[in-house]
Amino acid sequence: MSYKMNTEQENMLRNIGIVDFVTIEMTEYLDTHPFDREAMEYFNHYMRMKNQMMHDYAVKFGPLSLSVADTCGKEWKWALQPMPWEGGC
Amino acid sequence: MQDYNFNEYFDRFPLAMAYVPWQHLTQIYEDLDKAYCTGTIFPELTKPFTGRRCVQ
Repeated sequence: MSYKMNTEQENMLRNIGIVDFVTIEMTEYLDTHPFDREAMEYFNHYMRMKNQMMHDYAVKFGPLSLSVADTCGKEWKWALQPMPWEGGC
Repeated sequence: MQDYNFNEYFDRFPLAMAYVPWQHLTQIYEDLDKAYCTGTIFPELTKPFTGRRCVQ
């Protein structure tokens, strides 16, 4: 059994990966420059962007992390998505 | 956290030690797709090591 991602899902995943990477880079910079206000602004900007993208992705394709797993729906989508070895992410 | 200026104190640094100059935030890549592929968002940290031996 193999799940095939569509192009939109692949694009959203890739973009989340990119923005996540930017937040990690900024985190590492801030670890050694904890008073750099500009870097903190960059971090906040991209972290907000990432959260929004994770939310948008979860609505369409299911949650990527438990922090965006929605329990308001009638089903636990976390368990209903394809597993990584089934072509999910 | 002290901000060392490498050039300023160069003559006071003991020999045979390794030193890393302090990074200052100047800019990040506008093209984040490129940054993702390069492996850093900081243009000044882009170091494309080729993995080849030094040629004398």
